[in-house]
Amino acid sequence: MGVAITRQWTGYAAAVRLGWAVSSNWTRPILFIVYSVLRPVSMALILAVMYTVITGNAAATRPYLAFLIVGTAFWSFIQEGVSEFATGILEDRGRYHILKYSYMAPLGFPIFLIGRATSKLASAAASVVIVLLVGTLALHLDISPLRVDYPLLVAACLLAFVSVIAFAITLSMVLLAGRDLHGYGEIMAQFLYLFSGAIFPISVLPGPIAWLASLSPLPYWLELCRRAIMHGQAYLMFPNLSDGEVFLRLVAATAGTLLLGYVLYRMADRRARRLGYIDMEANW
Amino acid sequence: MARTHHPSSDTSRLAVETRRLTRVYKTRRELTTALQDVDLEVGEGELFGVLGPNGAGKTTLIKILVTLLLPTSGQAFVDGLDVVTDYKRLRSRIGMVSGGEQAGYGILKVREQLWMFSQFYGMDSTAARKRIDELLERLGLSDAANKQITGLSSGMRQKMNLVRGLMTDPRVLFLDEPTVALDVSAARDVRSEVRRWMREDPTRTVILTTHYMQEADELCDRVAIVNRGRIVAEGTPRALKQSVDDDVIVDLQLDPGTPVLDRLRAIEGVGAASVREEDGVDRFSLMLADDGVLPRVMTTVEGAGRHVSGLVRRQPTLEDAFVKLVGRSMTEEEA
Amino acid sequence: MSTAQHVQHSPLRIFLKTIAARAYPRVMAANRQKTWVFFDMAFPMVGALAMVLVYQGLHAPRQYLGFVVMGGAMLAFWQNVLWSMAAQFSWDRGNGTLELYVISPTTFEGVLLGMALGSMFTVTLRAGAILLLGSLLFGITYTAAGTLPAIGVFLLTLAALYCLGMLLASLFLFYGREAWHLSNAMQEPINFLSGLYFPVNALGAYVGGAASLVPMTLGLDAMRQLLLPGTPVFIPAGTEALLVAVQIPVFAVLAGISLRYMEIRARRDGKLVTRWE
Repeated sequence: MGVAITRQWTGYAAAVRLGWAVSSNWTRPILFIVYSVLRPVSMALILAVMYTVITGNAAATRPYLAFLIVGTAFWSFIQEGVSEFATGILEDRGRYHILKYSYMAPLGFPIFLIGRATSKLASAAASVVIVLLVGTLALHLDISPLRVDYPLLVAACLLAFVSVIAFAITLSMVLLAGRDLHGYGEIMAQFLYLFSGAIFPISVLPGPIAWLASLSPLPYWLELCRRAIMHGQAYLMFPNLSDGEVFLRLVAATAGTLLLGYVLYRMADRRARRLGYIDMEANW
Repeated sequence: MARTHHPSSDTSRLAVETRRLTRVYKTRRELTTALQDVDLEVGEGELFGVLGPNGAGKTTLIKILVTLLLPTSGQAFVDGLDVVTDYKRLRSRIGMVSGGEQAGYGILKVREQLWMFSQFYGMDSTAARKRIDELLERLGLSDAANKQITGLSSGMRQKMNLVRGLMTDPRVLFLDEPTVALDVSAARDVRSEVRRWMREDPTRTVILTTHYMQEADELCDRVAIVNRGRIVAEGTPRALKQSVDDDVIVDLQLDPGTPVLDRLRAIEGVGAASVREEDGVDRFSLMLADDGVLPRVMTTVEGAGRHVSGLVRRQPTLEDAFVKLVGRSMTEEEA
Repeated sequence: MSTAQHVQHSPLRIFLKTIAARAYPRVMAANRQKTWVFFDMAFPMVGALAMVLVYQGLHAPRQYLGFVVMGGAMLAFWQNVLWSMAAQFSWDRGNGTLELYVISPTTFEGVLLGMALGSMFTVTLRAGAILLLGSLLFGITYTAAGTLPAIGVFLLTLAALYCLGMLLASLFLFYGREAWHLSNAMQEPINFLSGLYFPVNALGAYVGGAASLVPMTLGLDAMRQLLLPGTPVFIPAGTEALLVAVQIPVFAVLAGISLRYMEIRARRDGKLVTRWE
C-alpha cells in the first residue's frame, strides 16, 4: 500500500516536472514570460476600457471594475489548466506521437494527466499575480496583500483546482476519444467562460443558462476569491449568501464535477481504445 | 508560358560537382563540422551512391545540394547551377525524396496530394494527372489512388513519395535513404522503379544515400564513402570491393560471452573487424592480411573463453570495403 | 553537352497554379471534416457573446453591442491570418512539407495566398454567421447607406491583413516554436489595441495611433463609422480607408523582403530542415 502510494507520488512528481519542461523548455524565458503575461493583462485592459467607456470610471462603480479584473486574473488558471492543457495532450498524440508511451506507462494515465495539469496550474500562478498587480498599480484597485483573507482564498482555490484538474483530464480524454478535435480545448474553455461568472455576473445570463451556471463550481470559487481579496468591498454575485454558504456550494459543485468527470473519463477512455485513437496521427 | 532551357556552362556534363564543400553547424555551446572539404563529381546519367554511418554528413550534403542549406564554405553545382547563387533556376530541375517522409496533408487522397505538389512546378494539370496515374500503376498503387493519406501503410506512403519525386521529371533526383524501414518487397519495388525511371532518359541522374550496402552495390554506378564529414573513398562498387581482394575475409560465429572485438582488432594482421548480434550469437566479420593470421585469431577467441560455433571464408562485399575504410560497420556506433 | 531539354515554366504560371493547389487542401478539409462548422462558428460566437454580456452587465447602450458583433466578425479574419496562414509554416516545417515547398520552383507568396484563399469560404461564413446571428439576437441596426462603402473598406482591410499575415509568416520560416508563442502573445494585445470590442478613440490619440499599424484597427473603426450611427470618430472614415489602402503595398513589399531574407537566414542556420522541436 505504502509502496504503491510512494510510486504514484513519484510518478505524479515526474509528470509535473515533464509538464513544466514541455511548457518552458523550448523557448527563451523572456518569451515565455511575455506569453504568460501579455494575454491576461491585455484581456484585463480590454475589460477596463469597456468598463471606462460605459461608466466613465465613476467611484460608485469601482467595485464592478474590481469584479472584472479579479475574475480575469483567476481565469488564467482555467485558460492554462483546461484549454492549454487539453491542446498539449492532443499535440502529444498527433504531433509528437509520444502520448501512447505515457498511456502505456505503469504509472497510470490519470496520474500522468493530473501531474501535467498541476504544472499548468503552477505556470498560470504568475499570470494571476501580474494581473492583480496591474489592477492595483495601473487601475488603482483597492487591493492590499495585508488585507487578503488567505485561509478563505487558499481553501477556495484548492477545492477549485480539484475541479479544474478533473475537468481538464476529462476533457482531454473526451477529445482523445474523437478524431481531429484540435482546438476544441479552447472552445470548451470559452464555454466555461460563459458559465463561470469571470467577467459578468451569471445573473446576466438567460434563466435556464444561469441555472446551469449555478451548478458549476467556478462562480462560487471566483466569488470567494473576490470576497477574500476585496475584503468586503467586492461586487457580489451571491449577495444573499454568506462566505460559508458559498463555500458549501463550492464543495457540493466540486463533488458533482468529480463524479461526472469520473463517469465521462471512463466512457471516453473505453471509446478511445475501442477505436484505436490513442496513437492517432494528426490530420491537420 | 513554358520555355526550354539548355545548360550551357562547361560544368553541365556534370550533374553534381562540389569543391571543398564544408558545412559547420553552430549551437550556443559548440561547433560541429558535418562536412569538411568535400570534392565530388557526378556525371550526368549516373546513379551515384553516398554511403556512410549515422552522422557522417550524408543528409547534410543532400540538403545543401537541394538548396535547403547553405554551405559554410566551398562551392556546389547541380546541373551546372550554383546552389547558392542560382538556386531559383535550379529548383525546377531537382527533386528529393526522403525515407520516412510525412510531408503533405492527411486530409487529401493520394492522387490529390500528388497533383498538388505537381502544381508547385507549374505542370499542366491534365498532363500531371496522366503522369501520376502512370507512376501509381507502375508502383502498384493504383488501388490506393483514391485513399486518404492517413490510411496508407508506411510502404505505400513511401511509394507515393517516390511518385512525387519522379512525376516532375527532375534532371537530378536526390533519394535520401528511400527504402529505410520498408519491407523487402516494397524496397524492391522502389529500387526497380528508380532503375526504370533512369532508363527512360539516359541523362537523368540520381544521388542516393543509403545505409544498405546491398542496395548500393545493386543500384549504384559509383559510390562515395563518407565518414565524419569527409569522403574517404570513391569508385564503382566493383573497384571498392577489389580494394579488399587481397585480404582474407572470414565470418566467425561465437556463442555469447566476454567481449573480444577490441582484442581481435589488436591482433597483428587483422585489418578490420566488426561484429553484429544475430539470433543470440555474435557474428564477427574479420579482414585478415593472410591465412596465417587465423590461428592467432582462434587462440585469442579461446583465451577469452568464447566458443566458436561457425567459421566461413567468403568473397569480399562492399560492406567489407566500408569496414576497412571506416574502421567499423555501418550499424556499429562510433566509440 | 546535355542531350535533354528541361522545361521551365514561367514564374507567373507557377504562382497561379500554386495558389490554386495550396487552396485545394483547405477546400477539401472544409468538405471532408465537417467539424469545422462547429469549431469555426462556436469559437468566435462564444467569445463575442461573452463580451456582449459584459456590456449588458454594465447596462451599456445597444450600439456597443454592435461594436462587439462587428469586432467578433473581424476577429474571424484576424485569427485566420494569424493561425491558418502565418502559423501554418510551423506545422509544415514540422512534418517536412516546408522543405518540399522550398526545393520546388514556387514562391512562399503563392503558397500563403493559396492558404488564405482556401480558407476564405469557411472564414467568411464564420464572420457572416456572427454578424447575422449577433445582429438578430441583440437587435442591432445598421445604416443602409453605409453598406457599399463599408464593403469597400472591408476588402481593403482584408488585403492589408493578409499582407501583414505574409510578413508574420516569414518569422515562422526561421523561428519555430518561438514564433508560435509570439503569435499567441500577439493575439490578445492586438484584440485590445485594435479596439475589437470598443471604439478605438477610447485608447486616446497616441495608443490608438500606434495601434493603427494593424490594419484591423483603422478598417474596423471606419466600418463602424459607416454602419453604426453614433460611433465616436477617431479619424474620419475616408482617411482611415486611405491609410489602410497605403498599408497594402507597404506590407506586401515588406513581406516579400522578409520572406526572402528569412529564407536565406534559415538556409544558413539550417532552420528549414528542423523537424518537430
